[in-house]
Order: sequence, then structure tokens, then C-alpha cells
Amino acid sequence: MRGLLIKDLKLMRNMGNSLIIILLVAVGMSFYNSDMSFIVVYMAVIGTTFTSSTISYDEFDNGNAFLFSLPVSRKDYVLEKYLFALLMSGTGWLVGSIASIAAGAAKGSLNLAEGMMTALVLLPVAFCLSAFLLPLRLKFEGEKSRIVMIIVMGGFLLVAVMVAKLAKGLGIDLDTLGERIPEMSAGAGIAVALGIGIALLLISCQISIKIMEHKEF
Amino acid sequence: MLKIDNLNKSYGTFRLDCSMEVLQGRVTGLVGQNGAGKSTTFKAVLGLIRPDGGRIEILGKDSSQFSAKEKQELGVVLSNAGFSGYLTIKDIVPVMGSLYARFDKTFFLEQVRRFGLPDNQKIKEFSTGMKAKLKVLTAISHRARLLILDEPTAGLDVVARDELLELLRAFMEQDEDRGILVSSHISGDLETLCDDIYMLHNGKIILHEDTDVLLDDYAVLKVDEQQYRTIEKRYILRCRKESFGYSCLTNQKRFYMENYPKLAVLKGSIDEVIMMMIRGEAL
Repeated sequence: MRGLLIKDLKLMRNMGNSLIIILLVAVGMSFYNSDMSFIVVYMAVIGTTFTSSTISYDEFDNGNAFLFSLPVSRKDYVLEKYLFALLMSGTGWLVGSIASIAAGAAKGSLNLAEGMMTALVLLPVAFCLSAFLLPLRLKFEGEKSRIVMIIVMGGFLLVAVMVAKLAKGLGIDLDTLGERIPEMSAGAGIAVALGIGIALLLISCQISIKIMEHKEF
Repeated sequence: MLKIDNLNKSYGTFRLDCSMEVLQGRVTGLVGQNGAGKSTTFKAVLGLIRPDGGRIEILGKDSSQFSAKEKQELGVVLSNAGFSGYLTIKDIVPVMGSLYARFDKTFFLEQVRRFGLPDNQKIKEFSTGMKAKLKVLTAISHRARLLILDEPTAGLDVVARDELLELLRAFMEQDEDRGILVSSHISGDLETLCDDIYMLHNGKIILHEDTDVLLDDYAVLKVDEQQYRTIEKRYILRCRKESFGYSCLTNQKRFYMENYPKLAVLKGSIDEVIMMMIRGEAL
């Protein structure tokens, strides 16, 4: 698995310029946009997109056929992609969180404890994104994979907007809910959310292994 | 080292039904036209596709039990696939080092220099020949026991091809516990490298012979109508109508040379045998 991880990190170099631009955009946004959750989720989404790109590199020119003739099992491959996705979206989450908290603290609009709490709440969101995206990305190749990416990313945004609208319709104020979280044992809530995120990742990983084991190259 | 028993795989109207064996210490060639089933056979051996039936035994183990770790014993070249073109040779070295416990970095880098391959350039910018050299070098640099090479010399010039064949011969000489299965379109490669050759046509093995026997005992007889009517046909494998009469493929060259001294007997080359086996008719 280490070999695959090295390969993907080396492939990341090809995305070097995009990476710098994305980081600059994130830092810029964190100063001009007070919505921390948007920046953190944006960074996590970018991290997951990079994982999807490495899958495209592997598929290009029938590369998967060669990869699986090396001492690499389908399971190894899937596990490595999940690890890489966690690494990438985790880094995105961390950079987004640090940039937002730092910008919020500089502007005096966000205190550290509040920022860290929001960041921790958003971590399972990053997990869920990988859990939904990776099996679909491994299942579909080429043009179909691009459509899948758009649908998943769009779907995520749509669900977020719908949840917000639904909450508003039901008279639930998400901002006050956020403020009330500390009163309702925030630690326990975050732990449950993280647990759900990890469980989804594990189920997703099993599905991805099945998908890869059924593939022919 | 490798035993394939009644390997079956169907794609639409195409059906592969193949049995063959690669023995220890031997280089076995697999020849056939495009679409004959060579790549399908290689892919089935490597577990890239699921066979519909049959059995494959690799290094004494059933292919379904052959683990990823055991694949360290294999060196593979696929005709239409390799490392991502966005990587460089410098990138590949640590990847190979992590995947193969016995990766010989010094040997690999020496050969890279010897073949003049740029180690800091993306593989997608390599010429066809450079890519072919790199594929073979990665296959032989981790002390594999069995090489599975699909068209390893495709796109190479004569000199580079000769150098690579030399590397493969040296690979075999280093350890008698090794074997190679190789497919090629170039008969020269097969004649000088292979100990025995299988011929695949429309998914079926139509000929298996030692290379020496193929070159020494096989011949094409060029006969007119009169000679065709009178010659012994027991040893004629394939026959083809020509403007002058018939071309007949035999595996008993001496019999015809001794008994029919006036016949035009052309020494069999692998190309000639392939042509006759595929385009000629069995009697």
C-alpha cells in the first residue's frame, strides 16, 4: 500500500499549480467570507476531488491493468484510495479550519473555542463526502465519472440547502442551534457525528472493495 | 512454472479455449494474429479478467489462491499499459522499492543509464521505444521467477531490440529456476529467444513445437499440380492453392528431401509456418 501512496503523492505534483491557487482562494475567502463552514467544506471537497483525480490518472491509458499486475490486490488499492482521501480531505479540512479560525480571530468575529467546535462538527461532513463519492467514482469511468462527480458535489450542496430551508420552515434556527450545542453536551454530539461518519466510511469502503473485485481490466 | 488447462473466456462471438505450459528454465513464445486471444490469455493469468472456465496454475499455486504478495515473483510487461505517463523514472524508483522486497535499484538505474532513458522526464513524453525499454527494465529488476511479457519489443529498432533480448537471455542465465512467457509479432525475436512456441488462432492453440524442431524439421514444399497429385500427404499439415500449384507445410522436411529430390523445399521460418497454419487448409 505504501507504494501506491507514494505513487499518488508523486501524481499530486502534477496538480501543484492548482493546489497553490486553491490554497490562495481559501485564505482569501476566509478573510472576506465570514461563513467558516463554507470554507472548511470547500477545502475538504477539493481534497476529495484530488483523490478522484488520482483514480483518473490510474485509469488513463489502461493503467489499472498494469497496476493490478504488480503486487497490489484490489483491496489494497481501495484501502489506499480511502487513506489518501482521508489524508487529502483531512488536510483540506485542517487548512480551511486554521485559515477560518485565524481570520475570524484577526477580525474579532469568531472566538477560538467556537471555531474549533464548528471545525469538529464539519469533520464528519468531510468523511461523508468521501464515503459517498469514492464508490461511485470507482464504479464509473471516463465521461461517466465526471457526471458522477458533478451529481455528488451538486447533491451535497442541494442537501445542505434543503436542510437549511427545511429547518427554517420548521422554525428551527440553525444559528441558535449551534449556540445551544455546548449546552447539550457538544462533545457527545460531535462524537456521535464522527462515529456516524466513520461507520459510513467503513461501509463505503466495503462497497468499493466489492466494486473493484468485480471489475475486469 | 505456469500451466493453463482449458482456459475459457468468451467475448460476444469470440471464444478463447487455451491450454499451454511454461516449464522451468525455458522461454515459451506465444504467437498469433491480432485478436487471436494472446492478451486475453495474459490477462487471465494475471487475474485481470475472470475466466469462464478452466484452471491456471502459477508457480505451483492455483491462480485464485495466488496472492498479491506472491506477485512479487512475477515480472510483467503489458502491450498497452504501464506506469502512469505523468510519472517520471525518479518517481517510479521509490514505488518499485516499496512494492518489491527484492527490487534491485542499482541494477535498474544502471540499465536506465545504459539505455539512455531520461530519469526526470514524464513517461508520456518518451518515444515508443523508450517506453518499451522502461517496461522491460521494470519487469526484470526485482528478481522475479516468471516473466510474463506481452509484446515487449513492439516499437523498438533492431539494435534496441537486440539489447533487450540480450537482457532477457542474461535474466535466464542468472538462475535456472526462472521462466518466461513472451508474445511477439516479430519472428526474429521468437527464433532467437524462445525454446518452444505456441501458436494461437481464433482463441485456440493450433500448434505447439520446440523452436529447434520448427526451424529444422518444418518446411514449405512448392509443388505443381502433377507433383501435388503424387506426393505422400501423410506429413502435410497445411496446404494452400497458389498460381503455380500448391504450397504445402510439412513437419518432415527430410522425408521429402530424401524421397522427392526434385521438389522445391523452402526452409521453414516462423513467419512462413504461421502464414501456412493460418491461411492454409488441413488435408
